[in-house]
Parts: sequence; C-alpha cells; structure tokens
Amino acid sequence: MASSCSQALRHHVCKSSRILQEIVIPKKKTWSKEAVLQALASTVNRDPTASDYRFQDDPYLTPKTSSEFKLFSLSQESGRNAAKYFISTYPKYFQKDYAQPHIPCLMPETLEAQIEEVSEAALIERIQMRKVKAAVDLYDQLQQAGTPVSLDVTNQLLDLICFYGDCDPAQENVPEQRNEETEDVQDEPQTKKGRASKASDKLKAAWKENNNAERIFALLSEPNTHSYSALIRGMVKYGAYSKAFSTYTDLLNNQLKADVSTFNALITAAPEVKEKYNEKWELIVDLLKQMAEQKVKPNLLTLNAVLKALRRCGTVGKSQAFPVISEMRALSIDPSLASYNHLLSIFYKPGAPFQGQTDILQEVMNEVSGKSFTPQDPDDAQFFITAVRICLDTKDIEQAYRVHELLGVGENWRLLGNDFQQNIYHARFFSLLCMMENIDVVLKWYRDLVPSVYYPSSNVMRDLLQVLDTDNRLDLIPQIWKDLKQLGHGNRQTLVEELLTLMAREKQNQEVQETFAECALDIKKMYDTGDRGKVMMSWTAGSLSDLVSVLLAAQRRQDAWEILKLFKTHNRVPSEELLDKFLTCIKESGDVNQALELVQISAGFCLPGTPKLIQRVQQEFLLSEQQKSMLSDLEIQTFNSD
Amino acid sequence: MYRRLLININQVRNRLIHTHNTRLTLPSTKCKERESFAPVTWAPCTARPLGTSSISFSENKESSTSLSEDKGKTPEETEVNAEVNTDGQRNTEMNEGTEISNATLTSQLETEPVVKPEDRKQVETTKSGKESLLELLGAMKVEVTTVRKIRPSKTPRMSERPDQEPMESTHSMFQRAAAEGSQQHGTLNPALVAAVSAAASTLPNRHQAESELLKQLRKHEAIPDTQRRADIGHIISDMKVGKRPNGRSNVRPTSQIRFDDDGKGYTQDRGITSELDGVRRRKSPFTSKRLNLFAAAAEQDALSDLGPTLWDIDLVNQIVQATNQMPRNGFEEMIQWTKEGRLWQYPINNEAGLEEEASVPFHEHVFLEKHLDESFPQQGPVRHFMELVITGLAKNHHLTVQQKKEHIDWFRDYFRQKEDVLKEAEAYLN
Repeated sequence: MASSCSQALRHHVCKSSRILQEIVIPKKKTWSKEAVLQALASTVNRDPTASDYRFQDDPYLTPKTSSEFKLFSLSQESGRNAAKYFISTYPKYFQKDYAQPHIPCLMPETLEAQIEEVSEAALIERIQMRKVKAAVDLYDQLQQAGTPVSLDVTNQLLDLICFYGDCDPAQENVPEQRNEETEDVQDEPQTKKGRASKASDKLKAAWKENNNAERIFALLSEPNTHSYSALIRGMVKYGAYSKAFSTYTDLLNNQLKADVSTFNALITAAPEVKEKYNEKWELIVDLLKQMAEQKVKPNLLTLNAVLKALRRCGTVGKSQAFPVISEMRALSIDPSLASYNHLLSIFYKPGAPFQGQTDILQEVMNEVSGKSFTPQDPDDAQFFITAVRICLDTKDIEQAYRVHELLGVGENWRLLGNDFQQNIYHARFFSLLCMMENIDVVLKWYRDLVPSVYYPSSNVMRDLLQVLDTDNRLDLIPQIWKDLKQLGHGNRQTLVEELLTLMAREKQNQEVQETFAECALDIKKMYDTGDRGKVMMSWTAGSLSDLVSVLLAAQRRQDAWEILKLFKTHNRVPSEELLDKFLTCIKESGDVNQALELVQISAGFCLPGTPKLIQRVQQEFLLSEQQKSMLSDLEIQTFNSD
Repeated sequence: MYRRLLININQVRNRLIHTHNTRLTLPSTKCKERESFAPVTWAPCTARPLGTSSISFSENKESSTSLSEDKGKTPEETEVNAEVNTDGQRNTEMNEGTEISNATLTSQLETEPVVKPEDRKQVETTKSGKESLLELLGAMKVEVTTVRKIRPSKTPRMSERPDQEPMESTHSMFQRAAAEGSQQHGTLNPALVAAVSAAASTLPNRHQAESELLKQLRKHEAIPDTQRRADIGHIISDMKVGKRPNGRSNVRPTSQIRFDDDGKGYTQDRGITSELDGVRRRKSPFTSKRLNLFAAAAEQDALSDLGPTLWDIDLVNQIVQATNQMPRNGFEEMIQWTKEGRLWQYPINNEAGLEEEASVPFHEHVFLEKHLDESFPQQGPVRHFMELVITGLAKNHHLTVQQKKEHIDWFRDYFRQKEDVLKEAEAYLN
C-alpha cells in the first residue's frame, strides 16, 4: 500500500516537474505610451446630456444653437492660432524652457533661415522651411556660381515647387479657421456658398507655362523617376492634364519607370483629357496595364483614384467598378471607406432616379458592417454623409440604422469628418427618422442627438412638428417649443405660425389646453421682444387668431381679449368665425359689456358678419335699455355702411 | 406618408402574428388541461409548422406533468404523458447531455415529428377526439419507443401497458413505410455516432442502447430528403404567416426559433433580412470577376524612398484635416497630448527623457578614478585636489558621464598649461 502510494507520489512529482520545465516566462511586454489612456478612454461613453468636450471647460460658453456652436468652436480655434502666431513671430520672447524633459512642440519654430551663405545646406534648409521663392533664388545662385547641386536635393526642390505651384505657400500661422480649409464636397451644393472658397482659390492657381519647375527640370542632365514624378504630380494638381501626359511620354522615352504616385496622378487626370466615357475608361485601363508592365504595385490610392475617375464615366463606371475592386482585392488591397464612397456615388447620382440599384447600398453595408476603419484617404470622411444621403433618397431606414451603427464601431466616428459634415449627417439621419419612424422612436433619437451633437435647423424642426401632427401627439408641443426657443428658432416666423396653427386646430383636453395657453403666451412674448438685433416677427391675422383661439380654448378670456386688441394695433382683421367663437365664450361668462365691446370692434373692422353678431347678442344676452339702443345704433351704422 | 403606410402594414402584420400565436399555443394549453379533444380543436395543430415548436410543447408538458402524478390516471392518459415525458427527456438528453451539432441532429429529429402528424391527420380524420389525440401524440414521439426499450428498469410500467402494442405498431408501420421510400441505409454522421455512444454510456445496458439508438438514427437518415422538404414546404404554404409562401424549403433553425418565440414583438423582419443577407451574400457583386491586369504575385516596392516626401506629408495632413480629431473626453485629450509629447507618458517612469543615460551603468558615474591615471601627478596637492573633484563629480547626478569626463579633461588641460608654475612651487610631483 505504502509503496504504491509513494510510487504514485513519485509519478505525480515526476509529472509536475515535467510541467515545471515547460513553463515559459513571458517576455516583458512594452506598452505603447498611449495604451493606458486608450484603455481608460474606452470606458467613457457619450453623455447625451452633455455638450461637446471642448466646451466643457466653461459652462457659460456651452453652445445652445448651431451659430453659437460655430462661434465658440471657431473662436477657440482662432485663439490657439493667435497664440501660435505670436510665439512664431516673436520667438525671442519664448526661449525659456521650463519643461524637463524638454518638450519640442511648446518651443517656437524657427521661421527665419539660419544659414546665410550660398551653399547646398542653405538650399536644403529653405526647402525644409517651404520657402519656394527663396529656394529657387538660391538654386539659381548656386547654378551661376557653378556649384553642383545633388540630384536628391534638386528633386526635393522640384517637389516643393510643384507642390505649391511655383508660389509661396500662404502663411500658415495667419489666424484662420481650420474648419474652412476643408475641400468642398462634390455632391453638396449647399456647402459651396462661401465655404472653402479659400481652398478653391488655392487650387485655381494654374500651372504656368515654363515656370520654375519646368525650367529647373530642363536644367537637369539626367532626371530620374522622382523628378518626373514631382513634375507630373504638380501638373495634375494645377490642372495641366495633357501636359502631364506628354511628360509621362517623355519619361517612357527616356527608358525610365514611373512610380505609383505618378500613375495615381495620371489616373486622376484621365477623365479630364478624354471626352467619351469609354475613352476615359480605356485610358485608365491602359495606364493600369502599363503599371503592370513596369511592375509597379498599385496601392489603395490607386484604387480610389480609379474609382473616383469612374464616377465620371457614367454607365461604364457602373459596369467596371466591381471588377476594379475585385482586382485590388486580389492584390490584397482592401478598399477604404473612400472606395465605398466612390462606389456609392457611381451608382447613386444625386437627383437621378434609382432603378433597381437600391441594393448596392445594402451590399456595401454588408461589406463594411462591424468593421473599424482607419483614415487612409482624405475622401474617407465623405462616406457617411454619402451613405446617409442615399438612405434619405431611397427612404431606407434600415440601412440608415446600419450606417449609424457603423459609426459607433471603433474609431469610425473620426471618419464622420468635421463639425460641418457632422451636422449634415445628423440632419439627414434625423429627417429620415422623422419621415419613416413613429413619434416615440423619433423622440428617443431626438433626446439622444439634440443638442449634444446636433443642432437641428428650422426645417428639421418643422419635420418634427409634422411627426407630432401625424402621430397625434400634439400635447408635446409646449416641450418642443422650449427646445425651439433654446435652439434659437424662436423667431422663425413660419415655424412659430405652424406651431400656433397646430395648437389652435383641435380641441384637446383641459390639461393640455392649459399648457398650450402658457406656451402661446410665451410665443407672444417672442413677438414682443425682438431684442439683441434679432429679426422681429410681425403678427399676421392668422397667427393672432390662432393665438386667440388657443387662449379661448383654455378659458383665458382676459388674455384672449388682450390679444384681440392687438388686431387693431397691428392693422390686422380678425375673421368672423373667431369673433363668433369669442362671443360664445363671453356668453358662458355672461359679461354683457364685453360682448358689446366685441360687437363694437367687429363694427370697427366693418366686418360683414357684424349684423349676425348683433343679432346673437340681442338674443342671447340680457340687455339694459341703454345697451339695446347702442346695439340698434350699431346695426343702423353697419347697415348704412353696407 | 410612408410612415402611415408602414404603420398600417405593421398593424396588419401584428394581427396576423397574434392569430398565429394563439393557434400555436392552443394545443399545448389543451394538453395541460387533459380534456377530451374534439377534432376541431386539433385543426390548428396541423398547421403547426416547425420542429422547434414541438420541442417547446413537449417541454411544457414535461414541466406540467410528472410520472408520479400519473398513477391514478386512465391507462391511455398515463401512457400519453409518459410518452411525452420520455420524449422531453430524450430531447434534453440529446441537447444538453451530449455534444451534438444541433444543426444536423435536432433538425432531423424534430422536423420529422412535425411531418408525421400532418400525414396521419390527412389519413385518419374520421377518428374520435381521444383516439386522434393519441395517434397524434404517439406519432410525434416516434423515438420514444426506442428510449423506452433502452431503459426498462427505469420505466417498468411502460412495458406492462396493454394498449402499448397497437401504438407501437402504428409507429413502426409508419417507419417501415418511410424506410421503404429508400432502401439506402447509409453511414451516419460520425458526430452523431459519437453523440449516440455518449448518450448510451449513461444508460445501464450501454451496448444494446447504443446499437438501438444507432439503428433508430439510421432509419431517420434513410427518410428521403425530398419527402421531408416537400412536407415542410407544404406546411409553410399552409401557414400564411411566413410572408414568403414561395416554397422556400430550407428554413433555417435560427429563424424558426425566433419565429416561435411568443410573447414579445414580431422579429420576423430581422429574420427575413438576415436570411436575405445570406441569399445576397452568395451573389454579392463584390465577388465579381476581376480585371486580370496585375499579376497577383506580391511585388515589393522597388523604390525605397529617402523618407517621406512633401507629397506624403501633405497626404497625411489632408487626412488629418478631413477627419474629426477633436477629443471626446479628457482621456482622449491626454492621448493627444501624449502624442504631441506634452504629457508625461504612462506608465509613469521617472527616468523619462533620460533614454541615452539608461545605457550607461552606474559605475561609470561613480568610479571616476580611472580618468585620473596617466596625465595627473600620482601624489601631491594636485592629485589631492583632483580626488576631491572626482568625489564631487561622483555624487553629482545632474551631469552625464560625458560631461563629467569633459570636466576632468578641462582640469587636465589646465594643469598641463600651469605645469611650469606648479613645478616652481613644487606642487606638481610626478
């Protein structure tokens, strides 16, 4: 027994020692410097009741309207830029280095050239500082002095000149808003006004014949691929498309290979140099074939350039878009959101009817759902607003939810783009919700999005009112009015009038009528105080009578009476039905004097219904002799005036 | 308004579901009450479409009835209950006790009992309520017979039942008929066999049980697919709720479960879309043929650039500008600061910024005598002074080793320059 025990024990020990030998001590793991913070950041969810993080420092500056949002965010940005400007302009006052270890980004950048002599080092310095003119001058001086400049440096110089189109770049530190530098959205007609005018100006600078880039290029004895690449890219960037192609022919004649960026630029230019759809596409295919011949591996930007070019190839684009994507997949190039954006734009032209293409969006969503994307292309940021535009156009709420879900995956929210694009996206998403969902769902999203990420425009608010109307939840109107006021739409006349009409239209229960009356009086205040330079709203007969009916329905005769007087002061004429209604209300309280006054008012407006009113008063009220005579006087007057 | 339309559609649809649900729940409640059944009440049962519903029924019955309760009941009823019970046990045993790929086994085992009542119902509509109930229940639980045979010790009462024979005979009759449909007794799925042996090992007479089970399974395998599909298609077309009566024979188990899930809302919508997704995925245009311009071989970029060019920097810049880089919370702002180098890095390291010093061992800092060797006098005041200097340097943590060396070198030069003076003063001894 004992022996077996010990045997078993030995066996066990043996086993465990074998296990011990197998233990591998894991290597020390080095964490990236952001890992801890990223883990912490992932625990923070969005708070729908809080404003954007950048406004949380100062509760006073929490924006309540979209214009405030714009103002505050831009002023914050411009404050930063101003500070940067001063530091860069007066670096000598900012030399004290407090930080230990040293923090380079807090120190002023050197903007003045340090090397004065004429040398290659000075040229390199000027190239790094992006001083186009100074670099060109220095290069000329070096040439005149007979100092050879190495090919690499010359290529860098060519890069610089071509990139800026032979002009000095605009001073980057001039206080300006980052937001306004965005490239224009092609399918966004409303973005075009005023916005990005600067960017388009910058692009407008055309490629000049025989500019410094071409001159310096001509001076090169043996230009290499890089030199050609710089020249071609510059030509494409500044609109000299056919010239870019002839330069490319030069390159081929010199027995050189082009690089991938050259091809990308040429593909971008391809739709510009041909007229017909299939010619454009043939040119692109030709370029791709040459890439394959020259053993140039395409990259994601190639794919996106081809797809972007296909957007301008009409029906050819529709047939060729998917083969292109398959081709790139075969080369293990995964499409980015920009590729999908181009794809959607190929199949869904804004304003065009959608015949049987609705499932392209579904296909795309099947592809992208649940994936987290990293920004790889400037056009990536267009995907979400394009997708949601298509959802809105095709009234496809299910896909819209999928798009919105995708936005929540990983870092995808970054790809929604800047504030302006976020606003467009949310406006479209919310309009679609208003169109397709019932009021409870709409309100759920409304509470979630407004106003923490989205400040609805007055049009969207009108949509919301329509939803309230359709689903018969008019009792929510006072609440919505509060939001409207806060969102700065309290002085939108059409919106306010619609609100009043909705409240006046049907009889609600007593409680609701009471809140309606409060709301109506609040609206009246908006009319009275048009302060702070806001547009004053003017009373119309319709809005006044709506207001009166709302107040009458809530049994607030005195308030209604005040409003009735406003008709006269604002030169508006009340309708007969309104006065009739008013008289009914007066009768309930039996106030004879007021009834008489009402008749007088009616007579004052020379309303054709006055005799009827007089008749009603005579029949329904207990009148004294004096009052009777007054009424008959009025009757005669109106009769005469008729 | 589109929404109006949708609401209407929803209402109609909900009404449909409601009716469907009541039809589904009706038989099970009746079962619990143990009333006699008119054929009319059973009519909805024939429309019962899906296998999973039979599972839930049998489980319901199991929870409501137990063997001990059945003692006082009439033979028929007890029989029925016992059968139900064992069936429930079998199901749970199959599903939980053993590791079976549910998709294959349960669908096979469960679709069948559904098919059978349908057939039987069609054949024998003239029977009395009780009889038809028995028939139906019996027909639903075909496998029961084998289970009961396997465990005679556990359920001894069953073998004593006088009216057990006819029922069994009907089953076997049906099975025989089914088996005649195809003579092929093919090999079973290995997963099934493994599951069966695992299940059998829990029983007393395991070898017999295993072979019985396998035999039974083979019978099910043998039932031709076409027949099964046709039956399901028939049932589905009878349902009128499924929205897609166009003979989709291969209804997936997941959507079945969702479909049968009573109580809360109608999830058919999602089910349909997910199914459609599956259909679509098969012919997705993303898998269309390629252009075949490039060789698939991974070609490395021939050009190894000298760092990023201006264009690359600009591309990155454009991407940054196009995307939203605003931090959403304090931590993200700290990440941004960390990237800019403005924040002390996590995890906290109090030697941050001293990276090049980290490779210098401490003795280089502390033991500086080796730097005094050759060029300084071995003794005398200068030596004494320099020893004090290196003691001070050894304790100085502000200077790097290089700076310390430079410090010593400075003194070396100084004393060399002043050598004459020092020698005059007899302070420089060598």
